[in-house]
Amino acid sequence: MAVPQTTSTVPAAAPPRAASRKSRRSGGLRWTMLLPALLVIGATVLYPLLASFLTSFRDWRLIYSPTPGPFVGLSNYTRALTDAGFLNSLGVSGLYTLISVTLTLCIGLGIALLLSKPTRLNIFARTLLIFPFAVAPVLKGYSWRFMLNPEYGVYAKGIGEVFPPLKGYLWLGNEFSALLAIAFSEIWGWAPLFALMFIGALGAIPSEVNEAARVDGASAFQVFRRITLPLLAPVIYVVALLKIISALKMFDQVAIMTAGGPGDSTQTLYFYVYQVAFRNLDLGYASAVSYILVLIMALFSTLYVRKLLRGD
Amino acid sequence: MQGTLGLTDPARGRKRLVAAAEVLGTLAVIFFVAFPLVWMILAAFKTELDVYSTRLFFQPTLDNFRAIFANPILLGSHLWVSALVSFLTVALTVPLGAAASYVLSRHRFRGRDTLFLLILVTQFVPAVVVAIPFFTLFRTLGLIDTPWALVIVYLSFTLSYAIWMLRGFFDALPVEIEEASFIDGCNELQTLRYVTLPLVLPGLLVAAVFAFISAWNEFFFALILTRSESLTLPVAMQTISGPRGPMWEQVAAAGLVVMVPILVMSFFIRRYFVEGITVGAVK
Repeated sequence: MAVPQTTSTVPAAAPPRAASRKSRRSGGLRWTMLLPALLVIGATVLYPLLASFLTSFRDWRLIYSPTPGPFVGLSNYTRALTDAGFLNSLGVSGLYTLISVTLTLCIGLGIALLLSKPTRLNIFARTLLIFPFAVAPVLKGYSWRFMLNPEYGVYAKGIGEVFPPLKGYLWLGNEFSALLAIAFSEIWGWAPLFALMFIGALGAIPSEVNEAARVDGASAFQVFRRITLPLLAPVIYVVALLKIISALKMFDQVAIMTAGGPGDSTQTLYFYVYQVAFRNLDLGYASAVSYILVLIMALFSTLYVRKLLRGD
Repeated sequence: MQGTLGLTDPARGRKRLVAAAEVLGTLAVIFFVAFPLVWMILAAFKTELDVYSTRLFFQPTLDNFRAIFANPILLGSHLWVSALVSFLTVALTVPLGAAASYVLSRHRFRGRDTLFLLILVTQFVPAVVVAIPFFTLFRTLGLIDTPWALVIVYLSFTLSYAIWMLRGFFDALPVEIEEASFIDGCNELQTLRYVTLPLVLPGLLVAAVFAFISAWNEFFFALILTRSESLTLPVAMQTISGPRGPMWEQVAAAGLVVMVPILVMSFFIRRYFVEGITVGAVK
């Protein structure tokens, strides 16, 4: 990268031609252009981060007081460790993340393999792949809730036809299947997108490699297992991190499809913090729990960002 | 390829079977991806009775659209709120983001990379952390249930995202083009105005579309920071319910209105979609 060197704003005495050409980028302009964005990010991200942090050490219930209450040290954090609701949501989010990441990767990989040959039909199918992702999560929630209704849902009925024991099964009324249904509404958006990334990566594998392997007598499965998967591994790593980060933020479909139910089986971390903060108005405790969430996210985000910077 | 029956030659027959299986596989993918969209679009044109049957053929009607456009809680006013919030978000995100990412891409100064990294990291701050202080702040300032409340919080994630994405577009632009403009006697602002910005215009459009989509589809903040006046469509849709839960035919119609602009925009920037989501993590 031949990025021009900037010199100070004070012009040197009669600089040589070449040097003057390199100093056309002015320091004054630099900060005028950078500052507005930095101020906005500071006000909209750093300020709330700091405010939440301070609130997390206070007892602040909005029902009793419009201003922050007394300082209570770490007790909001210790309360989280024994709070059944929080521990449940930690488990739900963990299970949800595991299910959705695994299924998204498998289905995404399956789609990529099915569409890897550039036939006309496959090229057409590839153009469809970005659409589900762009649909609002709220709508994903509505459409899957509608299609999984045991009385009139087209998916629920179809599954019942193919597999009679599941006729009339309450998909959103049972603990595990409700979480699975939420996962699927999200997988429908993400798996096709991952497939696109995998197809891009598959395209980078020279076809000679596969052909040579086949000539040497490797089965199609062996080629997949020994060549395709290892070559896709870096991409899989990145998208898995991306999916984990997004799965930990699951809120919209929970609100639309199950409202955290049945029982509290689909109360994800986000949904739980939402309940504590904006239903119970217990802001001190909610801030502490959201900070625990910041720490969890930081773990995966760090890995992702490191991967990004190394990839450049 | 054609003419002979594959059955005479076992190897060819096998090839045909594989080819047929591949086509079937692709059709299954198309079904998986498109069916929920198709089903929702169909439901939007069904009567109250038809929506509860799984028949594919029915007498289409536009009544649902009439109903939701007539409904003051819905598209009567909230389509405008959604549009206003999304446009304001874009109008603030793109210029601020473009200016910042230009500097981060083209200027060299101490701490540049650290600054960029910090901006990048703000992407991963969970929305709930941002929501709690803003909820109390906006209550004090009387901004709850105004479009501005949403625009302000939306900037918390659209701006850093745009900077991150646009920097890639600036970096991809050869520096020599700007150098040539300097030699021709333009100063930096003129160069930016007549050379650099026109060349990164596709990037600005992509950034604008991404900012628009995230504001238009956003649900969590909109649910918390609005009451009745400034509901955006994703939140307002919850009001379409009758005694038996959601009135699906109207939900689908409203969903269609929410979906179509986004699908059209996505189609135009489809080339950049994957890179936009991962911000270049997957090359």
